[in-house]
Amino acid sequence: MPKKKANNRPEIEATTEGTVSRRTVLKIGAAAGAAGVLAPSMLTSTEALGFQAITEPVTCANGQPSPPHHPFVDDFTAPFPADDHPLNPQPTEFPNLGAGEFDRAPHPRWAQFAPAHFTYDLAAQAGLHQFHSDFGQTYIWGFNGQFPGPTIFGRYGKSGVVRFRNNLPATTTTFGRNEITIHLHNGHHGSESDGFAGDFFPINFWKDNLYPNVYAGIDAFGGNPGGDGVGDPKEKMGSFWYHDHRAEFTLNNNVLGLNGMYIVYDSTDPGHEVPSAGSLQLPGYYGVTDFPLELVDHRFCATAGGRTELVNAAGGDKFIVNGKIQPKLTVRRRKYRFRILNTGPTQTYDLTLIKPDGSVGTMTVIATDANFLEHPLPVDAGANAGNSNSTTAPIVPGAIRVSVAERFDVIIDFAEFSAGSKLYLRENRTMFVGNPSPDPLPPGLAIGNVLMQFNVVNREPWFPADTPAIPATLCTYPTMPATDNTWEWQFVLVGGRFRVKRPFDTVGCVFDPDHSAHCMLQGTTEEWLLNNNIASGWTHPVHIHFEEGRTLQRFVNGVPVPVPPLHSGRKDVYRLEAGQGALIKMQFRDYSGRYLIHCHNMAHEDNFMMVRWDIVPDQAALDACIADQQVCELEMKAKESFREEVA
Amino acid sequence: MDRRELLSKAFEPHPASPGATRYTNAVLRNQNNEAVKFYDDLIRGKQCVVNFMYAECHGSCPAVTQTLKTIYRELKDRMGNNLFFYSITTKPEEDTPAALKHYAETRNVDLPGWQFLTGEPYDIETIRFRLFGMDHPGFDDDLTLHSSYLRVINDARNSWGMAQAFASNRNILRRIAWQDPPKSYAQNVVESRARQVLIEQEVKKYGYRRDVMS
Repeated sequence: MPKKKANNRPEIEATTEGTVSRRTVLKIGAAAGAAGVLAPSMLTSTEALGFQAITEPVTCANGQPSPPHHPFVDDFTAPFPADDHPLNPQPTEFPNLGAGEFDRAPHPRWAQFAPAHFTYDLAAQAGLHQFHSDFGQTYIWGFNGQFPGPTIFGRYGKSGVVRFRNNLPATTTTFGRNEITIHLHNGHHGSESDGFAGDFFPINFWKDNLYPNVYAGIDAFGGNPGGDGVGDPKEKMGSFWYHDHRAEFTLNNNVLGLNGMYIVYDSTDPGHEVPSAGSLQLPGYYGVTDFPLELVDHRFCATAGGRTELVNAAGGDKFIVNGKIQPKLTVRRRKYRFRILNTGPTQTYDLTLIKPDGSVGTMTVIATDANFLEHPLPVDAGANAGNSNSTTAPIVPGAIRVSVAERFDVIIDFAEFSAGSKLYLRENRTMFVGNPSPDPLPPGLAIGNVLMQFNVVNREPWFPADTPAIPATLCTYPTMPATDNTWEWQFVLVGGRFRVKRPFDTVGCVFDPDHSAHCMLQGTTEEWLLNNNIASGWTHPVHIHFEEGRTLQRFVNGVPVPVPPLHSGRKDVYRLEAGQGALIKMQFRDYSGRYLIHCHNMAHEDNFMMVRWDIVPDQAALDACIADQQVCELEMKAKESFREEVA
Repeated sequence: MDRRELLSKAFEPHPASPGATRYTNAVLRNQNNEAVKFYDDLIRGKQCVVNFMYAECHGSCPAVTQTLKTIYRELKDRMGNNLFFYSITTKPEEDTPAALKHYAETRNVDLPGWQFLTGEPYDIETIRFRLFGMDHPGFDDDLTLHSSYLRVINDARNSWGMAQAFASNRNILRRIAWQDPPKSYAQNVVESRARQVLIEQEVKKYGYRRDVMS
């Protein structure tokens, strides 16, 4: 769906009773009908309902399986788009403390990117969401009370401001923490808008994040605003997501629902399918032929009063796609784009498309972690089995392995299937269902492995016609200058302590918001060795804020191995299984400030597997920063030596 | 009004606190051989730091105790008033209250607001799982893995966090402060407005903000 214009947006008003007036409902219905989006999802928006007191959930003990559910009852839908509307008061360069904004550094490059073309107002607040028709309502925390959060749309060359309000309850019986800091994964913007883990703010405050929606390389490629023309267009990205990054509580708050998708379009990927200059003409109508596919697992318990609440457990026994358990989607015989995102908190998915005859279908990967691949990569169990992203471990043939925070944009062509056939998205782990499938499943497929069902029908005349074949070339990767510096990060577990260790560290520092562990000059190019090769039996999906990198080499137990095709593009999450390493190359441009590198398994990052690194603007700042980066290690060494003495 | 009643007024737990159902009300003994209920007497409505140790441990335990001693010095005004340290032994069979007393005295940590606790092995195992259990056998079954973790609890705001004993003291202090009683909205607003004035003066004077946080 193309972006709505601000002046066309439906006027949503709440009456004093906190209910929606009939007139508003009619308006919403009309607007939603015109926009081709389902009205019911709009009505769940607590923006429309006003702030309602939502009863805190009863806490459940862990250890029981979730209630059973019936497969393929609910519809798979795209999360509702966020509403673009003016902010009051207007965004400012310096924090508007008087009006309730929480303290932050001023927005960098404000003169260049203000005023914002897009402004969104998202309130983190308690809400109720029904994960399945068989279940009662579930207490969640969501942006505008939605699960998953509303999808934000941006366009390259048009800057945006998202005002994140913290309207979470002052008291909660859940495992969440009512302090938030929102990270846009993986935007190219200033550090004050990056959701730095130590920058969380309390309830009843808000914070503006300035997302300039620019390609990296603003300085090098000029900064003429308007159109797509800011930065290097080869740095184009598409499927971002935003989520809470509160230190120690990232897992808890994300499990409760504080995340959502953020999609940025440009002329190559314009968000529609009408032929236009430069357009790749990929399936592109949001919610019609282009769907986010946000994966999360949960454990539930039924409580008195008819609610079904989330259980605080590591690993759920229900797999959820866009907020629904085992949903169904009616697809026409044409191409569709799915933006697969694993919102975690900890589990990895091995996704395969199962055809009606039980064999593995083809999913054509066009983008990894929001970046187009140079050439689309079909993945299936036959001729294209070698295209999967396995470095060593034999994973399911034809599977795309999605660890936490990884995104894979895939195109599935349903044209080859006859109307009436049913396809299934399969996950290698098994969930608890408790009821048989209403439709006979393909041979070899168990209902517990099914994430969702596709029902193929013929295309109605009103439905958009199929897009042309996927272009053989989707983009050209940017060329990077010679490497200025090399650096190594070791992801280790020392005596039960998750650490991101530098080679010269004896033990490694825990996450310290006040001190940087690595400093670099703005504008430099670095090669980083991400090493999970040291006495490790753990998998770490490593995420680096701010910059996309290219993998130059992969390692298994220190031995160089070829880069698997799905790791060969530009990425921001580098999956390191036990004993693996990756040598990556990145440029740090345009902004200076504090950023993070961490394991995106949220249980690991909350347990300190995260460090801060800084980009600094000049040599004097670099010297100060390098002096500072010893602080942690010196403090740690003092303690370690004490330990050795007494040992 | 007796002492316990007074105390329960002074330390009001959060209405949503799961209380003894999470923390248990196991009866433990401290280094002075006093019987204490784990939730009612030690955690209810209070902010505290809990760690596991044992007296004969020569690996990381002395370093952790040393760290806590330094932290204690930094926070001595609060210790025993609204902040408490609890070091629980993982070897209750060996560590009698007398042994813990000896341990505390030899290290000069027999201080107000810091209790060394022992009790029934079953109770202690339960408390360890309740506080440090990660639902992960690799962690939960290995006693040594918890030795360097500090659990920071604030029952008055029903929250907890974690600190690493081997992190810097400054880092630990910050993580304890993250569990401090929250400032009221009014207090936050007053501070924000005061800061706004300073920022405006700086911007007027220098043209930019000098206390940039990034």
